[in-house]
Amino acid sequence: MRVALSRLIDVKNLPQQSVSWVVLSLVLVITPHLPRFPLWSVFLIAALFIWRLLCIKHPRWLPPKWLLLLIIIVAAWGLFMHFGTVFGKTAGSVFLSLLLAIKLHESRSRRDYMLLIALSFFIIVTNFLFSQSIPTVVFMLLSVIVLLMSMIHINLAQDTIGDTSGNSRSHSHNLSHRDKLKLASRLLLQALPLMLIMFVLFPRISGPLWQLPEEKNVAVSGLSDRMEPGNISALIQSSAVAFRAEFDRQPPPQPQLYWRALVLWTFDGRSWERGKHNPTPQANIQPLADPIDYRITLEPHQQDWLFALDMPLNVPDNIDYSSNFELRAGEKISSLYQYRLSSVPEYIIQPQLSPWERSAGLKMPAEGNPQTRALGRQLAQQYTEPQQIVSQVLAMFNAEDYHYTLNPPLTPGADSVDQFLFQTRRGFCEHYAGSFALLMRAAGVPARVVLGYQGGTLNPLNQVVTVRQSEAHAWVEVWLEQQGWLRVDPTAAIAPQRIERNLNAALDASEVRPLHMQLNSGLMQQLVFYWDAMDNQWKQWVIGYDDKLQQALLNKLFNQKLPFAEMIVYMLVSFMLMLLVISLFIMRPWQRPRMEPVQRSYQQFCNKLAKRGVKRQDHEGPMDFAQRAAQQLPQQAASIELISRAYMRLRYQANASDKLLAQFQRLVKQFKPIDRGGSKTDNPPAGGSGK
Amino acid sequence: MAAELPLLPGFMQRMIQRWASRRQPAAQAEITVQRRQLYILPTRQGLLFFSILLLILIGAINYEINLGYMLAFLLGSLGLLAMVYTHQNLNGLQVRVHRAEPVFAGQDALFSISISQQGNDLHPALQLRSDNSPASNQPTRLDLLRQRSVNGSLALATSQRGYITPGMVKLFSEYPLGLFHAWSWLKLDAQCLVYPAPAPQHFKLRAGQQQNNKNLRDNQLSSDKRGSDDFAGIRQYQLGDQRNHMAWKAIARTGQLQTLQFSQDASEELWLRWDQLDPHLDIEQKLSILCRMVLDADQQGLRYGLQLPDSCLEPNSGLQHKQHCLKQLALFAH
Repeated sequence: MRVALSRLIDVKNLPQQSVSWVVLSLVLVITPHLPRFPLWSVFLIAALFIWRLLCIKHPRWLPPKWLLLLIIIVAAWGLFMHFGTVFGKTAGSVFLSLLLAIKLHESRSRRDYMLLIALSFFIIVTNFLFSQSIPTVVFMLLSVIVLLMSMIHINLAQDTIGDTSGNSRSHSHNLSHRDKLKLASRLLLQALPLMLIMFVLFPRISGPLWQLPEEKNVAVSGLSDRMEPGNISALIQSSAVAFRAEFDRQPPPQPQLYWRALVLWTFDGRSWERGKHNPTPQANIQPLADPIDYRITLEPHQQDWLFALDMPLNVPDNIDYSSNFELRAGEKISSLYQYRLSSVPEYIIQPQLSPWERSAGLKMPAEGNPQTRALGRQLAQQYTEPQQIVSQVLAMFNAEDYHYTLNPPLTPGADSVDQFLFQTRRGFCEHYAGSFALLMRAAGVPARVVLGYQGGTLNPLNQVVTVRQSEAHAWVEVWLEQQGWLRVDPTAAIAPQRIERNLNAALDASEVRPLHMQLNSGLMQQLVFYWDAMDNQWKQWVIGYDDKLQQALLNKLFNQKLPFAEMIVYMLVSFMLMLLVISLFIMRPWQRPRMEPVQRSYQQFCNKLAKRGVKRQDHEGPMDFAQRAAQQLPQQAASIELISRAYMRLRYQANASDKLLAQFQRLVKQFKPIDRGGSKTDNPPAGGSGK
Repeated sequence: MAAELPLLPGFMQRMIQRWASRRQPAAQAEITVQRRQLYILPTRQGLLFFSILLLILIGAINYEINLGYMLAFLLGSLGLLAMVYTHQNLNGLQVRVHRAEPVFAGQDALFSISISQQGNDLHPALQLRSDNSPASNQPTRLDLLRQRSVNGSLALATSQRGYITPGMVKLFSEYPLGLFHAWSWLKLDAQCLVYPAPAPQHFKLRAGQQQNNKNLRDNQLSSDKRGSDDFAGIRQYQLGDQRNHMAWKAIARTGQLQTLQFSQDASEELWLRWDQLDPHLDIEQKLSILCRMVLDADQQGLRYGLQLPDSCLEPNSGLQHKQHCLKQLALFAH
């Protein structure tokens, strides 16, 4: 059969607009990635796009294959040098984008362009490895609409070039952009409920099947596990959310919001580090107040430590609880992570100091900072009670000319603590915490530095406390007899506003503040609250929607725990039902006009004859058929001919009247062919007068 | 994409077509595309689209990216909806075929086709292809855009004389996204009369003159006999007119090609006879020659009659007579 044999025709040159559409689609899906791309690759991709667009006018400028291959090889090498791999998250998305930009140069047929569009969807999804925020999803929906419009355009442009059938008008403009936009949006809107069903009911599995290779040179903002002058004040610049906390009851007052993460034991003269594992066998805590229950939603920070309100009492089984009262997840947090905790605001921890903790808590570097050591020794001689030493130093910070500032003078060299305490006297929390801890050790009081966040913004709309990177903080714990490890925050002595309210209130009016603090006023603050509340819901219910949440939701819906197979059945059934509803809405079969009345009646006539064994053959004209039927059913010959003649007149005569149609229908209705061998002749050809 | 079903081996396509053919109602001049005669399958692009979707879903499962799930499900839903849309693009359309003008074998028969809708919707990218379409031809494409009906023509290659019908005409569309190929086979009841292909040579025919085989074979009767004809007038040049009949003076005057016309005495009659032709020629060749003679005789304004083994047309002239003769030749069955 010729239809089957006719070959596949790829249209060689699609109208230029198709190329522009594909370029637009690619630019759109690549744009959100750009901030992560190495600069050279951004320029390379942009150049490839511009080049291709220029080629629309100058087809001879299309690059040869070897040049494209060369570009791929060089780009892959560049990526390998930059990331150490080509298949990591970032490197992979750069490489894919580059490949598509290059593929664009050798795409000619409709199928090539469809491939590019299909892979564009894949580029969209690689962006989700980095961001799943509301703006990202809004941008995704916009991109999907444009990609759909591109698909419509490419599909309409097909088969028009080389149209030899005579009409040479251009088909590519027969659907306006508005029509395409309307169609794409309608498709998207109708797809949304279907997507929602699948999203909620598709069974979630926990745990990855494979991992992407690690990349170097990827910056993540957040607390690091060492503290040196300047690294916390750098974090202050970021208003990114670190985590959110939802309290079961009233959130504690601001000054109690110390979110601990890491305990730093060792000081090398310049920076504080975590040091060796604390071998103290058991974390001993005596609560002195009612516990506070809360849930934390942690943003991915690519580290394994977790944050807890001082002092965590009960933690979930899968979280590791060290004798430093630190929490660790056991794996890097690379996606939104939720956990429930309860903490006590007043407590005694480790009333018995273990030998390891005593030695680690008093350890000093071999040399350096002589003035600090001397001051410590002097304090130890002056006061017998460690408690007194602590208050004395805090009083010193408070009374003397110490300043709290985001931009302290640099303290380079080996004696940075001396420089800070006795010369510059201007510093941020890491300066105060570090020097205070060292001074305590010099005075013989066991001390350690704690890193975490202090404060948080209570959103009055949903009672959620949002803790941002700008609330990063460092403080000190000293060990006192009978009181155990006690939190001392030297920053509170210099800038009590920092703890009571926030950083903004604590800084001098003259201080240059980060942009996000400058914007934080009145209406803006209100908008931030709204946005934050929405973002929180989004994180909880969309991004954080996992197997546990799914089970909880289904429990509520079906009042029972659904097994895996049953879940799939529910999913498919509800999806199909929804698809049916939407399809009915699209098709509107109730509006569909049926066959034309003339044809319908004629079809009835043919069916009646067919029942008596006279079947109309393919390609048999109505009159030929009538002749044959009349021969086979001679008793009905008259009415067969009458009906066929009426049919022919109705079909082919320009001005057939309604009266004729009514007669025709009546004739067909009354027509009752009988078997050739049958005896019933109760139907004399009716409507003989119809002529 | 060409018209054939995507992704299926030939024998399956033929099986499906035979099955569909049985389901199809009898041939009609106007056919409403019914849901039960509408078929749909994914295209190559459609399969590509769904495999990318699957990749996205696997990635989303592995990295627990909920937005990845979302995109995969969104694309899946869009794909299925596109299927409904593609189906809907054809469903309920009325296709009407009109009588095609007779052609000579070897020429394309052009059936004029109109597609109409009851509503006022967009039905772009409707394509038609017949079993008998010339293989090289692109399918006929029609776009029904918010109008009641649209006209186009379906070209059929002809190789034999007689009646030709469009056969099974495939109406198909991949609109809007190109992911699905929806089609319906239409048995369009229309026929086109195909005359025999005229023999290549021209004949100078003389009324009253009994032609014999010899002067048929030597192709041209000499032009010097022209002088005895009565000059009848000048008419527009038509393809096939002889050079020595060109009205050169008139051409110089008007700048248009003109031909001198000669007429014979109307009482003179020419008989084109089957049994005068070289008996060694086969039937089709004879019909070809007779066809050419009819054309030439008509062109020269002769009164001529046609005598075939089974029928005889009395001498006459005019368009209707010519068509009558050609029809006899086209439908001649020995």
